Amino acid sequence: MNPVSNSTGAFFERSLGQMGSLRETIERLQTEIATGERIQRGSDDPVGASRLRALTRLERRGETEAENAARLGQDLTQGAEEIEGIVSILQRARELAIAAANDPVGENGRAAIAEELEQLGEELFARANGSSITGAPLFAGTATGPAYVRDASGVVSYNGNGQNGAVPVAPGTEIERGVTGPQVFEFELNGSPSSAFAVLSDLATALRGGAANPAQAAQDALAGIDSALDNSNRAQTVIGTRLAWVEDIQQNQQNRAIDVAEKRSDIGDTDIADTIVRLQQTLTALEASQASFTRVSSLTLFNAL
Amino acid sequence: MSTSLITIGRSGAAAARANLELAAQNIANANNPDYVRRTGSQSELVASAFIDYQPSSALSGTVIGGVQRANSELTQRQARDSGSDLARATAELSGLRDAETALENSQLFEGLVDFEAALTLLESDPTDSALRTGALETARQLASTFQFAETALGNARSLIEDDVTVGVDTVNAAASELSRINVALVNAREGTAGKAALLDARDATLRDIADEFGIAVEFDEFGAAEVRLVSNPAPPGEPGVLLVAGSGFNQLGSAQSGGTVTFNFGGAEFSPVSGAMAGRVAALSDMTVRQTDLDAIANATITRANAAQVAGAALDGTPGSPLFSGTGASSIALVLSDGAGLALAPAGAPAGSRDTSNLGNLIAAFGADDGPIAATDRTLLSLSSRIAGLDTTREGLAIINSAAETQRLAETGVDLDAEAASLIRLQQAFEANSRVIQVATNLFDTILGLR
Repeated sequence: MNPVSNSTGAFFERSLGQMGSLRETIERLQTEIATGERIQRGSDDPVGASRLRALTRLERRGETEAENAARLGQDLTQGAEEIEGIVSILQRARELAIAAANDPVGENGRAAIAEELEQLGEELFARANGSSITGAPLFAGTATGPAYVRDASGVVSYNGNGQNGAVPVAPGTEIERGVTGPQVFEFELNGSPSSAFAVLSDLATALRGGAANPAQAAQDALAGIDSALDNSNRAQTVIGTRLAWVEDIQQNQQNRAIDVAEKRSDIGDTDIADTIVRLQQTLTALEASQASFTRVSSLTLFNAL
Repeated sequence: MSTSLITIGRSGAAAARANLELAAQNIANANNPDYVRRTGSQSELVASAFIDYQPSSALSGTVIGGVQRANSELTQRQARDSGSDLARATAELSGLRDAETALENSQLFEGLVDFEAALTLLESDPTDSALRTGALETARQLASTFQFAETALGNARSLIEDDVTVGVDTVNAAASELSRINVALVNAREGTAGKAALLDARDATLRDIADEFGIAVEFDEFGAAEVRLVSNPAPPGEPGVLLVAGSGFNQLGSAQSGGTVTFNFGGAEFSPVSGAMAGRVAALSDMTVRQTDLDAIANATITRANAAQVAGAALDGTPGSPLFSGTGASSIALVLSDGAGLALAPAGAPAGSRDTSNLGNLIAAFGADDGPIAATDRTLLSLSSRIAGLDTTREGLAIINSAAETQRLAETGVDLDAEAASLIRLQQAFEANSRVIQVATNLFDTILGLR
């Protein structure tokens, strides 16, 4: 007898195996569509999975940097507001100095001006010690607050340090956190260091009778006030430029986030159209093989017996 | 003369009935994968004698021969060998997949990236206690992630170790069964249904052993098997160590220590070359490497974080104290109790300093190309590449094995159509033989009726 036969068991095993592998393919495609992810586990595409991990890290870093940039923007905006206030204080002080320099004001008028100047000095001091939303001093550098302290004799001195500290907002880009107190309030006047606080309090003292000729003293103080104004205007420009930079960076961050998301999608996302077509194709193949299996398996000689 | 016609008819009908029984037996066992198709043999019977030196012979019908079992030693062997190779790849793949699942599901990479992000966030406002607490909690999460990954990897390992123990028991049971079959085979008569059934049992047992270990088999004239486990090292001149010979078998033992498994027969140790056991041995040694990697990553995390902490100043200006304790993935734990203790400022900085240069060092050390994040990515990449490669190998081996199995089934399996055809043919043969007897009776009656 013929030693090799067409074993019925082999036929069933083979059909079962073929339909099983079709089902497996269908399930995989179905999972890809349902999850939207092409790579279910690292071994599906090792290199793709590794790139996805790198992109995850980039994405995470981008989110962090965006948050840092937003906080930095807040700090800078607050600094800019304080400096704007400082500029208007100094402008008011300048108006007062000009008024005091005019003789007709009289002693009473000068006393009133001195009073207002002292008030302005207080406000200046308060603004110099302004803090961010989280309570950190705006003008103390990296030191803890307050930025300026006043001693018993009323002399205001800087309490912070000269480092601004920088915040990384993009790969390789760090933006300084703000400006230090000395950059806003301190300057050289006639070759010796002076500050906005000193100029205002000196003028007030002079107007209260500390100077033999108050009008002349007021006239002389104008140069100091102008220097203080220049200084704070410069600081305002610096902060304004940094704010603009932060906004640029934020725009870049958004673009980069979109880039990263696109790459992520290229590597890891299911191509829905392609997958659905392949799913349909596999379904058709499975249906056909099921139909032909029932046909073929019902073809047996026993029906004829 | 008419007597011999009756004898011939009777022997033919008996042979047809015997073959019908065999066809029925084949049909009944069509779904039994261990069953090898049987066929009956028969031979012509001629009675011969010498009478007065004159040769004389008389036709006497047919003799029912023995039960013949389709000879399939070669295809059985091919199916066994390819089965061993496939079992090896499958076992190794399943072990490594478990390891991959353990490492990926622990979200270790994400944990490390989260910690890096929490640290980077501190750059914006290093004195913010909310951010500091957030970073500390991320560090705590990271420590438990390491332990989770370690435990999951350990579980995957002990699963395989259990499989090894079960496999050894299976092989010992099969070996003892095979030695009994060997004894029965020597005593069984050739051509009997009993012998064929014993041979079926023998081949099924060999397949069971081959799933666990690659085997080399030799059969003696009775069909009794001498089985060797293909091994490294092997005895000189032999493919492997002896498991079963005749009525005796050697008790297999295994020894597991620190990720390596060796097998022995009471004496010298050996390692398997193919079969599921070889795959398990390979998977275990690979897992040991992954565990070492994981420990190294945990250790790098601990030492880098602690080195940076010690080199800096905490929020209150005091020197930084270590962030983590432990030396590996199983022992890593957070020891810093307060976010204020994170040493973000350089050593010597005053209390409340917003200087972040030490934080910058920590982030750089952590995210460096030789840092823990990159090392985790490398470990995952090498593991999943290995799995992807192994999967391809396994697919190839599965195709070879399926071809060999199909070949084996084609030679040994039952073809229902062929059996149906046999049924018809044998039924007709039976009827034809009955007819012969009827004709003989008619002839006899005709002679008796002569007047």
